[in-house]
Amino acid sequence: MAQVVLKDLNKMYDDVHAVKDVNLNILDKEFVVLVGPSGCGKSTTLRMIAGLEEITSGEIQIGNRVVNDLPPKDRDIAMVFQNYALYPHMTVYDNMAFGLKMRKFPKAEIQKRVQDAAEILGIQELLKRKPRQLSGGQRQRVAVGRAIVRHPQVFLFDEPLSNLDAKLRVQMRVELKRLHNRLETTAIYVTHDQVEAMTLGDRVVVMKDGWIQQVGEPLEVYGRPRNRFVAGFIGSPAMNFIETTVADGAGALWVECAGLRLRVPAERSARLAGKRRQAVVLGIRPEDLHPATGADPVDLTCEAVVDVVEPLGSDILLDVKVGNCVIVVRVDPSVRLRQHDKIRLAFTPERIHFFDAKTEESLQ
Amino acid sequence: MVIERRWKKWVFFYVPLTLFLVGMLFPFYWMLITAIRPDAELYRSWRNVHNTPFWTLHPTLDHVQDLLARTMFPRWLWNTFFIATVSTGISLFCGLLAGYALARLKFPMAGTLGTAIFVTYLVPPTLLFIPLANIIRNFQLGDTPWALILTYPTFLIPFCTWLLMGYFKTIPKELEECARVDGATRFGAMARIIFPIAVPGILSAGIFAFTLSWNEFIYALVFISSPERKTVPVGVVSELIRGDIYFWGQLMAGALLGSVPVALVYSFFVEYYVAGLTGSVKG
Amino acid sequence: MVAAWLLLAPAAVMVAGVLAYPVAWEAWTSLTDLSPQRSGPARFVGLRNYVELATNPVYRFWPAAAATLAFVGLTGAVKLALGLGLALLLQRPFRGRALVLLAVFLPWVYPASVAVIGWYWTLNPPLVTSYSRLAADLKQAVDGAFGSGAWALASVGLFNVWRGAAFTGVFLLAGVQAVPADLFDYARLECPSPWRRFWFVTVPLLRPFLALAVFLSLTTGLADLANVWMLTGGRVVFPVLGTEAYWLGVQAGQLGPAAALSLTLVPPLALVLWALFRLVDPPEERPR
Repeated sequence: MAQVVLKDLNKMYDDVHAVKDVNLNILDKEFVVLVGPSGCGKSTTLRMIAGLEEITSGEIQIGNRVVNDLPPKDRDIAMVFQNYALYPHMTVYDNMAFGLKMRKFPKAEIQKRVQDAAEILGIQELLKRKPRQLSGGQRQRVAVGRAIVRHPQVFLFDEPLSNLDAKLRVQMRVELKRLHNRLETTAIYVTHDQVEAMTLGDRVVVMKDGWIQQVGEPLEVYGRPRNRFVAGFIGSPAMNFIETTVADGAGALWVECAGLRLRVPAERSARLAGKRRQAVVLGIRPEDLHPATGADPVDLTCEAVVDVVEPLGSDILLDVKVGNCVIVVRVDPSVRLRQHDKIRLAFTPERIHFFDAKTEESLQ
Repeated sequence: MVIERRWKKWVFFYVPLTLFLVGMLFPFYWMLITAIRPDAELYRSWRNVHNTPFWTLHPTLDHVQDLLARTMFPRWLWNTFFIATVSTGISLFCGLLAGYALARLKFPMAGTLGTAIFVTYLVPPTLLFIPLANIIRNFQLGDTPWALILTYPTFLIPFCTWLLMGYFKTIPKELEECARVDGATRFGAMARIIFPIAVPGILSAGIFAFTLSWNEFIYALVFISSPERKTVPVGVVSELIRGDIYFWGQLMAGALLGSVPVALVYSFFVEYYVAGLTGSVKG
Repeated sequence: MVAAWLLLAPAAVMVAGVLAYPVAWEAWTSLTDLSPQRSGPARFVGLRNYVELATNPVYRFWPAAAATLAFVGLTGAVKLALGLGLALLLQRPFRGRALVLLAVFLPWVYPASVAVIGWYWTLNPPLVTSYSRLAADLKQAVDGAFGSGAWALASVGLFNVWRGAAFTGVFLLAGVQAVPADLFDYARLECPSPWRRFWFVTVPLLRPFLALAVFLSLTTGLADLANVWMLTGGRVVFPVLGTEAYWLGVQAGQLGPAAALSLTLVPPLALVLWALFRLVDPPEERPR
């Protein structure tokens, strides 16, 4: 019973409007990830939920209780900080027991909970050490352990993995997911890393400049981004954008620019019909382009010249020139190409995105 | 910010802060009032009907005029400034080099020496001026500014060294290593990379040293005898207290004017100062 | 190696060169009966001066030591408490913080010698001034209760606290700002009682800063005493070690016992320094 509800949430710092009209319903047991570039208001939102920042206007409910005026300690939440916030003067055990001791839990109970948490995280051997004797990954585990001993209603994570090296980050990501499956506690997780957001979240909340851009399941946000920002932010390498103009011809709509002329698939024509002779932005992900074969209709292909070849092992990234623009294509590792080679690229028609050139909204 | 109710903020923040400020600043207010109070009012009895102990109705600049015209106050100001600047410069120079050596160079006894710096503070200063006076006399420096310029560093250098040592330790080694890989000598890296980065620490040590020398009293009292060579603290006290007669108004005017330079210096650098102190302990 | 010594040389020459002789002089003098009032060379008397100090009540050593201890201990505690309070108040940003910071720092910046006069004037006014009756009554009450000179000592104490709390406050503020904000945030999430938060989190995190603040306030406290005695022309007559040493040496001309007297402060100070260094840098526990 711990859904979290944010209603018309706003935060002003002197003259900076950091969070704007945020509305969000987080369900019980859900893992929600707030993601966005730095300064998008995601951390501020999290800190308002924690009670570390004052709310300028709006309302926050945790488990059906309005917590606007509750001090952080009474909100029944636990938070994991980016720099772990472990107390250098306390042992790992004391760090983990701190919240319980402060709440005057009986000693036996504290011991049991800390032992349990240490077991879950595999840090039983470290309990007597001081934080400075631990590696980054171990500190990370202690910080998480410190949160789970509390059995809170909601976990808050503030970029908890960003101080780890790449390999460890992937490993901890899996562990966090496993932990969430096991504990089934509502979790709100802030990150700037879209891969973390996609892999961890039941739902992903993309933010920019204090506004929520889109809320949805990871694959929904990936497959049907609501605007150009979300389309470009989610997915790596990022979606290609090509500035085009809508034109009429041969009983269909076309989008064209230097070196490119594509027939708009029939099911997409309705939204573009009103945009004749206007600019629209075409978006296509690197994985939705492939070297053309005979099976691909010619009016969904274009000529390209290979500029850079980046083999990743599992596949190859090609930077290619189409007319005046450079786009990225993800191809099978069996494709053998070198710089300056000419290829014909085919677009997967149902994966083409169109965005309004002015509002940047999706024309889906 | 903690989410608190309004009254809590008043009780735990504004009220104590105001109390602190009043306590800290009242003596200054008192000096100001005394400095601009006419003599007639200054020596009036407590029970007098028109007595206004906490403010004055007839502010006057007489005392300030007196101070500037009848004493050598401007001269003292200049003396103090000169002595404080030169001794601060010497102390900073020595402190920078020594602090760098203790923080960065590995050599036996580096730790011991770092501790030894503190030990110089253990010697009570009460009687040290007697033997120091002997030295000053032997070098025939008595009654010259050099007597003070050479003695002040004895208590300034240890502090500067210690503060800068701490600050140097907070600067990542890589910065310097990078400079040396790029072709700078150790001394070049020190002068061109480390010292500029350490500016907050240097400023803070400099301000500290400047204040201490500006305020120093005992040595200045013992080593300087001619009125025209005195420093502000000594001059004000020795020339405006004659036996048991205190020229309160002038005294307070001198006190206020004499600390204007130091207060100015601080107002520009107070943030640096706090930053510099931080480094000193982190290391 | 050579570089290190080169760099250390200027500091060493300045400090040791100018300080070594006076310190050695003081140490040697404490073992002789040197006095400007007696002709002939000073005679070596061994530890007699120290023995005399401890046993001969003429020197008022024990009462002076007790008064010193009480003075330094009391003012030290008050300075620390006020300074810590100030640092915690100023920790958060608020409008006009820079100005407040400056105001708080003024007492320390201010020339001590002049400020003393200001305080002296405030607390021990000449008879004719406006509120001197009030002050005189206070003085009499305090002196009556604790012995003559107590009021003056209390004024010095107040002065020392005023000056020292300002310094301690800014120093500890630097400390508070050096601690990552996360650590305080986490405490606010987890700890319901501000009081426990203070003792379990703030104090331990600030430990090195607190230790240094204590040491600095100790040494400045001792120095202040001597300054004040001279500044007030000997009007502060409550015997403490510093003033006794000055009086013995300069007024009574007994340099031997005076030097011995002022050197008795060194061992206890060294002990305190050692204890504080242990606090700053506690020996590392080995992981098991």
